[in-house]
Amino acid sequence: MNALVALCHFCELHGPRTLFCTEAVHPPAPSPPQPGSALLGDREAEREGEGLTMRANSSATQRADMCEGCRSLPVSHPGFVSVDTETGIRFLSHQHPRQAQLFSVVRQACVRSLSCEVCPGREGPIFFGDEQHGFVFSHTFFIKDSLARGFQRWYSIVMVAMDRIYLINSWPFLLRHLKLTIQSLQSTALKVFDSEQGVCPQRAVRMNSAFSPAVFPHQRSGNAARSLPSLTQHPNLWASLHASFSWLLKACGSRLTEKLLEGAPTEDTLVLIERQTEQEEEMNAEGAGGKSESAQCRDFLFGDDGKGEEYCGPNFRSLRHLRQVLGAAEFRQLAWHVLMGNQVIWRGTDRGLIQSAFNVLKTLLPVGCVRVEAYSSQYEEAYRYNFLGLSPDVQIPAHVSSSEFTVLVDVLNVEQGCVHVVCDDDVLSLYQFSISSANTQPVDKGPTLLNKLEVALTNENLSVEVVSHCLLCLKEEWMNKVKVLFKFTKVDGRGRDDTQKVLVLLGATGPGEEDNVRLLKFWMTGLSKTYKSHLMTAVRGVERTLSQ
Amino acid sequence: WASAEFDLAQIRLIVHQDCERRGRQVLFDSKAIRKLDPSEPNAEETKVPPARSGACQINSKASQKESPPTYQYTRPASDVNMLGEMMFGSVAMSYKGSTLKIHHISPPQLMVSKVFSTRHGSSNLQDSFESISQTCPSHTSSIHSNPVDMPGRGHSEDGDSGIARSSLSSLLATPMPSPGSSSSSGCASSYQRRWLRSQATSLQHGPIPRSTEEMFSLSDESCSSNPAMARRRKKIAVSIIISLPEKEEESHSFQEFFFSHFPLFESHMNKLKTAIERAMIVCRRVAEASQRVQVYLCRVMEALGEFMTVWNLYMAPRITEPVWLTMVSQSAERNQLCQRFLKEMSVLMEHGAKTFLSALLTAVLMYHLAWVPTVMPSNHLPIKPVCQKPTSHTVDLLAKSHPYNPLWAQLDLYGALGSPVRVCRTVVVGRRRELVQRVLYILSYFIRCSDLQENAQPQGHTDSPANPCPAQYSNSAPLSERTNETPLIPKSEAAKPPVCTENTNDKTLSANVDGANDAPVSERTSKKAPKSDSAGPSPLPEPTSERLACADPGWEPFGDATDPVGGGLEHILANQSPPVQRVKFTIGSPRESDHDGQRCGRGLHRKLPHRRLADMRRNESSDSSLGDSDEEETASPSQQAYTPATETAREYELPLPCQTESRASVNHFGRSLLGGYCPQYMPDFALHGISSDQRLKQCLMTDLEHTVLLQHPALDEPVAEAVCIVADTDRLCVQVATSQRRVCEPGRLGRDVMVSSLVHTLLTSVLQLHTLNIAADFCVMHLEDRLQEIYFKSCSLAEYLRGQRRVHVKELGLALIESSDLPLLAAVASTHSPYVAQILL
Repeated sequence: MNALVALCHFCELHGPRTLFCTEAVHPPAPSPPQPGSALLGDREAEREGEGLTMRANSSATQRADMCEGCRSLPVSHPGFVSVDTETGIRFLSHQHPRQAQLFSVVRQACVRSLSCEVCPGREGPIFFGDEQHGFVFSHTFFIKDSLARGFQRWYSIVMVAMDRIYLINSWPFLLRHLKLTIQSLQSTALKVFDSEQGVCPQRAVRMNSAFSPAVFPHQRSGNAARSLPSLTQHPNLWASLHASFSWLLKACGSRLTEKLLEGAPTEDTLVLIERQTEQEEEMNAEGAGGKSESAQCRDFLFGDDGKGEEYCGPNFRSLRHLRQVLGAAEFRQLAWHVLMGNQVIWRGTDRGLIQSAFNVLKTLLPVGCVRVEAYSSQYEEAYRYNFLGLSPDVQIPAHVSSSEFTVLVDVLNVEQGCVHVVCDDDVLSLYQFSISSANTQPVDKGPTLLNKLEVALTNENLSVEVVSHCLLCLKEEWMNKVKVLFKFTKVDGRGRDDTQKVLVLLGATGPGEEDNVRLLKFWMTGLSKTYKSHLMTAVRGVERTLSQ
Repeated sequence: WASAEFDLAQIRLIVHQDCERRGRQVLFDSKAIRKLDPSEPNAEETKVPPARSGACQINSKASQKESPPTYQYTRPASDVNMLGEMMFGSVAMSYKGSTLKIHHISPPQLMVSKVFSTRHGSSNLQDSFESISQTCPSHTSSIHSNPVDMPGRGHSEDGDSGIARSSLSSLLATPMPSPGSSSSSGCASSYQRRWLRSQATSLQHGPIPRSTEEMFSLSDESCSSNPAMARRRKKIAVSIIISLPEKEEESHSFQEFFFSHFPLFESHMNKLKTAIERAMIVCRRVAEASQRVQVYLCRVMEALGEFMTVWNLYMAPRITEPVWLTMVSQSAERNQLCQRFLKEMSVLMEHGAKTFLSALLTAVLMYHLAWVPTVMPSNHLPIKPVCQKPTSHTVDLLAKSHPYNPLWAQLDLYGALGSPVRVCRTVVVGRRRELVQRVLYILSYFIRCSDLQENAQPQGHTDSPANPCPAQYSNSAPLSERTNETPLIPKSEAAKPPVCTENTNDKTLSANVDGANDAPVSERTSKKAPKSDSAGPSPLPEPTSERLACADPGWEPFGDATDPVGGGLEHILANQSPPVQRVKFTIGSPRESDHDGQRCGRGLHRKLPHRRLADMRRNESSDSSLGDSDEEETASPSQQAYTPATETAREYELPLPCQTESRASVNHFGRSLLGGYCPQYMPDFALHGISSDQRLKQCLMTDLEHTVLLQHPALDEPVAEAVCIVADTDRLCVQVATSQRRVCEPGRLGRDVMVSSLVHTLLTSVLQLHTLNIAADFCVMHLEDRLQEIYFKSCSLAEYLRGQRRVHVKELGLALIESSDLPLLAAVASTHSPYVAQILL
């Protein structure tokens, strides 16, 4: 809790004094406060000193001004500390807070609690304070002292905080626990008092001695200053009080805890986590280090910014850029194949260029649907990689090149003098692109996601960043549909009619319906294991409860 | 809440004045006021018992009209002087701001006082006002206190009232680590608000005062800066005294309510104070003395009557099972809850309330914005299965290392998360109780706040850590037998050592008293306390330097900007073992750490942005599998356990008492601000239902204005706009009333809500899924996914608006945002991208 606790005493000779103060120091630890100077500078500290203020570290005058009753730890005593290992918060106890700022706040609280605020019966709780000096919960009480005037001494325990709401909220808690502390001190002191009175009844002594109010306190000046450990016969009182106060600060702070929920991670995050886990396991199995793979994963999730800069050769910077280079129709065709889950093969000499094309294209898909082999010297099957880069000499098997589920992009070096029309990039004028596929399906109807994306890509007023945000929205939207379809068909195993109903409610029907459905089915393969297994176990759980 | 009726007569209002020149005067005491029965207009004089001849007749005969009640001001009760003493204190303060005090007095009563300095008008008005106390038997206190100059703090000098905000912004500029940069973390913004709150109330660098120059205005004119007047200090105390119920249990329950809901009480007190100010100013315009007093009394009594309505808050019914909070706190019953929630929703939809619900939900999602952080995707693996959302680790850790009042966070119910701050309430009006309750129930899923759990403390007395004198001391032997020093009990004066006067006695003294620290007596302390009887400087415990290695020089900001991934991914542990185990470690909640799987540590501590937190974590984790041999690991486990901090002064280290903790959800703001079907309109609830909007129509605008004017005491920022969503289930319409009264046709409360198509399709598809017999918890999961879509769209919008001055709605359409969604998305975006509102407004 952002607060401090102090024990204060109204000394018969010296008035209200702070005896013992426990504060909580949070990590990061501030630089160690220098004796006599505050963090916020001496100037501030000096301004504090209007009559009531004493300096934090005992000056000669202060010591002369103090008696046993006004002092807790001797000057040489370093104080106490307890560390809350869970949070690193340290609870420090000294006679005064080390910081001049806090010193003045505590001093103020002490003076107000013992000489300004009025509590009927002089024992009990009061809350007071303002925004300037902080807010104080104070509980005043008497301790029996056979030698004191009226046979008792007046004390208070104050808790100071700037958050008045918190302090007021804590009233019942503080009252309950400070009462325990106070009652314990009182009853211990009462026993000491009784036994002392048994040995030497003070009333009789006083009645017999000549009564003179003027000299009264000074007569007994030696004992007027009995300390609290002496009054309670508790030699370790300060250590115990430190423990009690520290606990109070901690317990009051952790009395209420907040349970704040955050959203579920996206499927992309889950998949990345799963992949990273797998990789680390493999790495551990091999005993090898290196983070390049996980770094790649991260790049994927958070965009490829910066990736392009690493590679200095010609490259594709964004979907829009790719679209400009390839031409709208070619781009549409290529993107369509990507979204349908077909194998996309790029063949050419410029490895970096192909890599950059894949980096851009894979943003169209959920992470779970992306399997990239950036550059290979032999053909790899579609089930292994849906993005495949090949060197120009690699032959593609006939069954692949004739398949409607494959699209091939050949990157051809352009001879000098021939300039690509749409190209705004000199470097890319070096290449020509030839796209071929055995696909006979129309690519201009759907899927809906692609239609919407193209609208955003076409609108030059939208920056590349806005487009990528739009794409993210679209992907999340469709991923949520994928989840529903998965639940419906794979988990619950519903029939065709019901499935059609779901497609309608998902907004997947209408023009481009066929493409939408293909997209949904392909994307289903990209769901995270975590999600899928959760849905499966949830169903099994329900079945179990039903069968019971 | 209430376990018993609370008697309204148990509230007493006292207004007291403390003038340097004239001492104290009672300006109002509700106990001394009698309402006269207007049906017997001429009877007052005779009816006054002779015994009360001293009572003054304030009632004016001129006020024959029936309408304003007439009051009689009798002799103030005898305790007012004492109470005045308590309000002002026995020593006057030079501090000019307002002071808040709470006293617990007997017979059991709570007294809440606010003391204000006056803002002076011209003095003759002032004098005329004092006629009340002069016409009455004088109770002017003879106590004449001299102001003591309390040490003022720096800020009071500059007289700048804008400190509240500037202190916050200067905080941001301090070299202190700010979590603000961790934008990738899902809960970044709510995290940042909490962090700021913690810093604003921290004592670590000395207190940071918020300036609230609340004055008490005695005149209409803005403060006339008459230096002569300014020197004469006058203070006014407004004090409310509440008698506590006699029964222990009721009293306890009332106090729990009172203290945990203090911000609400305070805001009502502020309202009351404003009304009293007005009354004083207005009554001065009345020429005739007796009538002036009557006007004054009438107005104050009326304000007091208003104030009493705060007690309705205590008595009013609450939603028994608010959906969201119940789901958060009792995940075991999740399935049934989801089922019931969906059932209620589909029943409502079947009743042709589809558009109504879409409109209502659009408004609720737009203003009660606390749902946004709950759908922001986290980068952590969920602790619980996916359907259940992960609790925020970062916030959990923050709360421990940078404490703040979590109760404050519950005020999120009012939706004050956006920028600029808007505060919102929702009222459901309708004659059909069942229908209203159904709507309330459904809304209790969408109006969200974090759940609060209270740490139950043991009730035992002797073993409580709060007890500094455990049992072994209680039977301590008489002093003389226990100490080997000179007994303190003086057989004669000579036997006593003169304390504190001569240096020669220092030794005896410290051995006698302070040296006691060195003797290990209690078991708790003996471990560390050096065993030495010497009175000189005690030997320090061995300074351990390991701590230094751990306290790494760069306490890195959470979510360091150089690592845009945030803690998330690197936090995640590479492990295929059941997620529950792994992640519990990641959260690092030490209470849970004992459930950790054995393999939990790998990769955790590599370059963590949360490095420091992780360090703390390691401190108590003795899991040896952490050792990936990385330079940070050298400082790992075991050593830190009880090493004292390496500071200039090495304090004696003592173990921190600990206790077993048990947690239970509590009824603080979360549940208590979600009202049920109430007998009448109440301005404090975040959500409640009423049967008729009659009173609502009367009070709403004033309440809204009041919210903006006086700022919610619990909020740190000024409120820009107060909003009330009024859903009429009889006419099936939804209106939004605002303190910025822009458009309002007569007879209408506010403007209509444009249904967001996102919300509409969201509702439709969730309910269709439900109709298709999809498991309820899946439907709710889908609902959350769809809410998350709204969040993503708001990010798109924010990105689009970045750097723009004007918005082209058409282009927004091209950016895949429909115009009907724009207000909703803009509001959502304002929670994570403050600049959005500036562009759109």
